[in-house]
Amino acid sequence: MNQLSHSKPINTGLPLLKLTKNGLFFAALLLSIAFFITPVLWMLATAFKEPGEYVSSTPSFFPTTLTLQHFESLLDDGFLQRLGNTVYVAFGATVTSIFLGFMAAYALVRFQFPARLDIAFLLLVLIVKLMPPIVVAIPLYGLLTDIGLLDSLFGLVLVYQLYTLPFCIWMLLGFVRDVPLEIEEAAALDNANIVERLWYIVLPLCKPGLVATSIFTLILCWNEFPFALLFLQKPSTFTLPLYISNFITENETFWGELMAIGLLSSIPVLLFAGFIQKHLIRGFSMGLK
Amino acid sequence: MIFSNKKHLLMLLLPALLVLCIFAIYPVIQVTVFSFMEVDFNTDESHFVGLQNYRDLLDDWFFTTSISNTVRFSLIASVVQVSLGLLLAILFNRNFPGKRFALPIIIYPMMLSTLVCSAIWRSWYHYDFGMLNHWLTGLGMSPVEWLFNPSIALYSVILVDVWQWTPMTFLIVLAGLQSIPQDISEAARTDGANEFQILLFITLPMIKGHIMLALLLRTLDTFKLFDKVYALTGGGPGNSTETMSVFVYRNGFKFFEIGLASAASVFMLVIACSLSILYASKILGEQNK
Repeated sequence: MNQLSHSKPINTGLPLLKLTKNGLFFAALLLSIAFFITPVLWMLATAFKEPGEYVSSTPSFFPTTLTLQHFESLLDDGFLQRLGNTVYVAFGATVTSIFLGFMAAYALVRFQFPARLDIAFLLLVLIVKLMPPIVVAIPLYGLLTDIGLLDSLFGLVLVYQLYTLPFCIWMLLGFVRDVPLEIEEAAALDNANIVERLWYIVLPLCKPGLVATSIFTLILCWNEFPFALLFLQKPSTFTLPLYISNFITENETFWGELMAIGLLSSIPVLLFAGFIQKHLIRGFSMGLK
Repeated sequence: MIFSNKKHLLMLLLPALLVLCIFAIYPVIQVTVFSFMEVDFNTDESHFVGLQNYRDLLDDWFFTTSISNTVRFSLIASVVQVSLGLLLAILFNRNFPGKRFALPIIIYPMMLSTLVCSAIWRSWYHYDFGMLNHWLTGLGMSPVEWLFNPSIALYSVILVDVWQWTPMTFLIVLAGLQSIPQDISEAARTDGANEFQILLFITLPMIKGHIMLALLLRTLDTFKLFDKVYALTGGGPGNSTETMSVFVYRNGFKFFEIGLASAASVFMLVIACSLSILYASKILGEQNK
């Protein structure tokens, strides 16, 4: 009772101040939302505009007439092939990394390492993930040339392991750690061998973690640019980011097509984004890019 | 840590270790060796030249400029992103109608591929047809050469990075804010502290760790900067936006100056390793707590 009578005058005493504060709050909020969404809205709108509406000294933000011509010209330009290339590389690299990364993460969590070598291994994983990829580009170029995988999508799957494997190991570490040890110990007492324990116990219990990690890894490969630029030269092997970069440099103002590619290549990422929202910080803390 | 069977441990860890050795450790060793050599690409001959490449590198005005560009980009972009992320997080740390929809909108840019972001902004920055100059002239101001003025171009690239990655610093700081128990600020408020004092003396000290993490992550990431520069300015005008990654790319893959590019790579590697170890000691330290 005493508390109530104490707080009442404060709330009713300053209605004007509170109103201004609320006004400022919503103004700041709207401004920041506008800053982040406007470029995206422009991409969405421009993909459906007639060229005359953006190659103009008075460009319009929203289309006055809708057209699908940019999407049609993309189909003739081999968009589907580049989409296929990107899918192949993203899934190839992800499946490989999830498989290898899961085993390594399990070993790191459950096994006794001699001389704390596990810390050394983790440090290596981190440094590899965080170092600039361009640093190893010259030797990797030589390596791919030597094994005849330059300009090949399979070669790209291999070099993407440099990004994806450390990422998967790091992400899966946390998920494997959450699997209760007791279940595995009980299975070990029942003479289940290590393959059986991994397959029937740890793997099913880690499934949400494996799904989240896979989605992150897919996005990572989907968006990767420097290695694709350096190791793919034939247009028929291009991935979507490389396709975009070629489009930017070769056609100064073909923005309709450019935004159509941007839009189409962002849709899969957006569809998956919902699944990983609660893991976003953990995922992006590992320098996902 | 219950298992200690060395054979199983090796079986689980060896595939990942092998991949890391082939695609990370071996290239790092090779690039270090190259940095002490003069490599002739035509005859495929190479010979030892000692520290000559490093001496050339430090005398190279293009390289020293690329260092200062990278440092400027990294510092300004990281600090701006973390400050904006903090402001946004403070805005979002209270309830308001529509918060459920506002949050995914803010996060959207960081899910996009860097190439898609660059494509959108490159169109916006266009001198004749871009939205930004259209709006500026609409407000009665003179148009700006966003990407072609040597003293502005770097800041234009920074703006794109701020747009793309402020969402991440925002998420990290927001997680920090939400981990602060409500009753602490309640207690301060009953003791007569105003909102600003609570922010300065209670909230900020308590999320110092999150702010440092966000700063470190953005520094590590902006240090690699390559995609945006490649797609927006190509390093120009002149070399006013050339970063260290672009320097390595240009010398290694355009001019075939393998020795010089390798020396620059080693230089970058040393910096990246020190930053990574700083980061590693922070997160590995937290995990062992």
